[in-house]
Amino acid sequence: MKKHWLIGGLAGVFALTGLAFVQGGGTQPSAAAGGTTLSSAVQPIAFPHNQHAGSEPGQGKMDCQFCHFSAERSVDAGIPSVATCWGCHQLIPGANNPQEVAKIKEYLDAGEGIPWVRIYKVSDHVHFPHMRHVNAGLTCQQCHGEIQTMQVLEPPNRGIVGKLLLPQDPVWGGDNMGWCVECHRQPNESGVQQASTDCAVCHY
Amino acid sequence: MTMTDGIKRRDFLKVLGVSGAGATLSGCGPGDVEKLIPYVVAPDEITPGVATWYTTVCGSCSAQCGMWVRTREGRAVKVEGNPNHPVSQGGLCSKGHASLQHLYNPDRFAGPMIREGDHLRQGTWAEAEQLLAAKVRAASGVLFVSGGVGPSMDSLIGEFVTAVGGTRVEYDAVSDAALQEAARMVYGASGLPRYDIAQSRLLLSFGNDFIESGSSPVAHNKGLAKMSSVDDHQSKGRFIYLGARLSTTGLNADEWIPIRPGSEAAVALGMASVIAEDASAAGPYADVLRSYSPATAAAAAGVSEDAIRELAERFASEGPSLAMGPGAGANHRGATAAHVAVMILNHVAGNAGRTVHYDAGVTAAASSYAEMESAVSAMAAGQVGVAIIHGANPAYTMPAASGFRAAFEQVGFKVSFASAMDETAAMADLILPDRHFLEAWGDSMPRAGVMAIQQPVMQAVPHFDSKQSGDVLLAVATQLGSDLGSATFYEYLRARHMAMHDTGDFEATWQAALHAGAVEHDMPMGGMSEMRAPDAALSFDPPVFDAGGDLVLVVHPSPRFGAGEFSNSPWMQELPDPVSKITWHSWLEMNPHTAEQRGIREGDIVTVSSSHGAVDVPIWLYPGIREDSVALAMGGGHTDMGRWATGQGVNVMDLLPSESEQLSGGLVTLATTVSVSPTGERRRIATIAGSDDQHDRPIAPAVALAELGHAAEAEHEEDGHEEFKELQGAGGFVPVPSGGGAATAFPLEGTQHGPYADAHEGPRWGMAIDLDKCTGCSACVTACQSENNVPWVGEGQVLMGRDMNWVRIERYYEHIDATQAGDLDVRFLPMICQHCGNAPCEPVCPVFATYHTPEGVNAQIYNRCVGTRYCANNCPYKVRVFNWYRYTDENVPEPMNWQWNPDVTVRTNGVMEKCSFCMQRVRDAENRAALEEGRAVRDGDIVTACQQSCPAEAIVFGNIRDPNSRVSQIVSSERTYRVLDELINTQPAVNYLKKVTFHEVVSGGHE
Repeated sequence: MKKHWLIGGLAGVFALTGLAFVQGGGTQPSAAAGGTTLSSAVQPIAFPHNQHAGSEPGQGKMDCQFCHFSAERSVDAGIPSVATCWGCHQLIPGANNPQEVAKIKEYLDAGEGIPWVRIYKVSDHVHFPHMRHVNAGLTCQQCHGEIQTMQVLEPPNRGIVGKLLLPQDPVWGGDNMGWCVECHRQPNESGVQQASTDCAVCHY
Repeated sequence: MTMTDGIKRRDFLKVLGVSGAGATLSGCGPGDVEKLIPYVVAPDEITPGVATWYTTVCGSCSAQCGMWVRTREGRAVKVEGNPNHPVSQGGLCSKGHASLQHLYNPDRFAGPMIREGDHLRQGTWAEAEQLLAAKVRAASGVLFVSGGVGPSMDSLIGEFVTAVGGTRVEYDAVSDAALQEAARMVYGASGLPRYDIAQSRLLLSFGNDFIESGSSPVAHNKGLAKMSSVDDHQSKGRFIYLGARLSTTGLNADEWIPIRPGSEAAVALGMASVIAEDASAAGPYADVLRSYSPATAAAAAGVSEDAIRELAERFASEGPSLAMGPGAGANHRGATAAHVAVMILNHVAGNAGRTVHYDAGVTAAASSYAEMESAVSAMAAGQVGVAIIHGANPAYTMPAASGFRAAFEQVGFKVSFASAMDETAAMADLILPDRHFLEAWGDSMPRAGVMAIQQPVMQAVPHFDSKQSGDVLLAVATQLGSDLGSATFYEYLRARHMAMHDTGDFEATWQAALHAGAVEHDMPMGGMSEMRAPDAALSFDPPVFDAGGDLVLVVHPSPRFGAGEFSNSPWMQELPDPVSKITWHSWLEMNPHTAEQRGIREGDIVTVSSSHGAVDVPIWLYPGIREDSVALAMGGGHTDMGRWATGQGVNVMDLLPSESEQLSGGLVTLATTVSVSPTGERRRIATIAGSDDQHDRPIAPAVALAELGHAAEAEHEEDGHEEFKELQGAGGFVPVPSGGGAATAFPLEGTQHGPYADAHEGPRWGMAIDLDKCTGCSACVTACQSENNVPWVGEGQVLMGRDMNWVRIERYYEHIDATQAGDLDVRFLPMICQHCGNAPCEPVCPVFATYHTPEGVNAQIYNRCVGTRYCANNCPYKVRVFNWYRYTDENVPEPMNWQWNPDVTVRTNGVMEKCSFCMQRVRDAENRAALEEGRAVRDGDIVTACQQSCPAEAIVFGNIRDPNSRVSQIVSSERTYRVLDELINTQPAVNYLKKVTFHEVVSGGHE
């Protein structure tokens, strides 16, 4: 039984070491950016989802799929091309942050894609077909949360340490299979499980 | 401490998980964030995550099969056969699949290379073109050597050579020159004859390896499978192979008559003399026929007179019959005469115009070795100022004795259009890397009346600054002051097609051709069936062989490497040779009796020497070769051809004389005798073959044609299996009574498939593989590797039994006798995961990484797998393969990884894998059916990669529970069996159909 504690203790030491590293690495950019959050500091353009998709007065009320154009017909939701952004923004210079909007033109002129930092990701060994979910009637918000109210998308807290110690994303759990399966297991109108929980539905 | 002592297994894993997470997170700092890069301007035709398909033409060899290419986000990830193509009809060979590895080959040139002293420097295209123009302007003689190209490129090269006042030589290392010359001489035909193999009932091949080389291997493979497989009326055609060595083609024969090498003409004429009641039936060849008889044929061939006579009688009576003359592996000094003799045989049997047509102008590979010999003399004499080499590698493919290298050195300025390094480019002063055919425009005319456009399926791979040769020629011609009428090759191509277009809207025709892949014009068929007198002296005597040894050397194009142009592909290197099952290195085939007499064992490294050279190569014992012959394949021994080909094996061209056949001008390959002496050293053969013998186990059983319809009741599996044991949850092994046991019964009564199974009446995916059709060509192996991101492991790993192909073509000898004419029975069996209903691998997995899906598939969940390998140990079929190392990242240099299929997880080390029944294709078909039409998948929606590729159409996949599905229909055949099922009760979902033999099955039967 003594060995049992030894294993637990060693594991704890490893965990704390790892955590210290993450926190040390994670706070630096925030400080440099003068109090803004981690994710807004690393995105190349401070893109406000709420300004585009929110329905408050003065916000754009855009449909998610205007920009994420392939969500209902492809496994990938799609991210808009630079030309798509500029298609609107050549007429809308941006009331709040024209300097951020101007960056679009710079990327367009340089012929470069905007290097967005990826926020939502399922692991490489998971195949998530967006179109099957969108066509089943799920809203984007059911998995991604109320994006249309967020100015800055926070990166989900990955790994067990992140989950235990950092503030939780209230909705997103795409790095946790239990979160997927919970929804798949819900009964449909006829009382049977609404989606398959067979491993090979997503893992192949 | 044991697992049960105070700490449960799950808790233990949790503790490990926490510490593991710490370690993982520490490796994922902010610097590792993943980026999403959008398009600047999104292309209309691309939807991310959705495949875009293009139709094009395979440019790998002169067969020019139709091709479909699947692209994802602008990258070609998979090539498939185009079912709409009138010649290839949907099949594709291994070499065609591997064209992706040449497209993304890291050994391609980064840009135009200009020699400065000992090394090559990368230059710009403008600089390179100016240099070429200047050198051509100043040169006294320009030589242009071109390999096989499409008709438009052929025409452009012709115009360019005329414009610069040069000479042109067309040269392909392997050609049908002798056949072409014979067809011209006897029938006045301009191309190769068109064979209607599928229509024949008795097929004779005189050493013609038509499913591996020749004018259209894929189409011929399809024809052979159709002709030789049993039909609904329980009848099948008979295939007889006459030759010194059994190739893959030969192994499919029902009978083998091991004639002496070079005796084809004597045998064909001896047979014709029996068939023709009066020699005058042979028209202008009547005198020839009079001097031959079965006796003379038997003496020349070394087989019994009765065998020849009996064969001739069957050839006449069991029609329609067809005889095919010697192929590239039997191109001897009398090859043209041998083809003429076979034409006489076909003529007297009434086959001309019935199963063989001399009208169609089937495109021949560019051919003349004789012209190449003159070019070598001209270069050696200093008469060539600029030599331009396009689509050929003569420094490797010409026999060392030809003196090409020394002569080429004499040329003032040497230019190569090679897109990747080869032996000829290594000597060049200027290299103008051509586009790969998947990046370029072109066209093809596989036979008269069929025109297919080769269109680029993606932008040129950006790592390589390549340019289409046609564009380069046009630009250089312009600099030299010759206007060839177009600025780009694309314009040139379109202008040519516009000129050929007669009526209607050209644009619509062009678009239709691009869409369908080929346009078929009505051509007057038939016609030439009268034989003409020869316009040159023909000698039908057996050819002489160069002295120097006591064994005849059979040299043949490799089914994997051709004449060496496909060697720098790890897929091709690791593809087990269809005959020997050897990967990577070269081997010398020797009959076991010959070896025994000489005290030689398999794996002994021997020195093979002819009067022209010598090579050291290991011995592989092969009962499918005559005792007086040995065989060595082309394609090995590259000295300068990229990282995978260089140094692998030996170049057989070192042993051959440089000699062209007198009448046709083709290179003589069956030319010399060799002596074989052991060096005293040995090596292990990098083979994947376990055993050549079934040891009386019912792995690949067969049924005699006469037994069909009679044995059905006794053999068909209707009665139930014994009760079997199954792992149920944590309860251990529980005996389960099982009723039924037929293929369609799933899940079996009483079985449970764990907590992950849904209770629904879904499909059971199953497969039928018809061994009567399978020809062992191995196209499915490469198709699977391409589709499923299956890594290659290298020769060293293969030697340790760590080869990773998901499909293994087993080859078993049942009856093979090189000493006399008789029945041949060699069985091919594509072995994949059997998706057992009662899978031995499943209960031994400690982490449920392998389990049964409700759809009857034995799934392997990579992210669950911890690599215990218990499953592989427990698999009776040896189909599970393990990632011992990081084969997928350490072995795969940029941009070879662009080929990966984004729909399939790329596995890393420590993970077990195996055939998934192309689960990604099942999901894709389900998604598309649901999305586009709101329905469930229908039969035929899902086509696995192996099935798509199979030229023989031997593989069918579908829902075996649906009695109307094609797979169910096929499985209801009385020939159906499941491998080892009756012994070990595995209940596979893969159903094989027994091979049907003409002779009585004595061993390996399903008793």
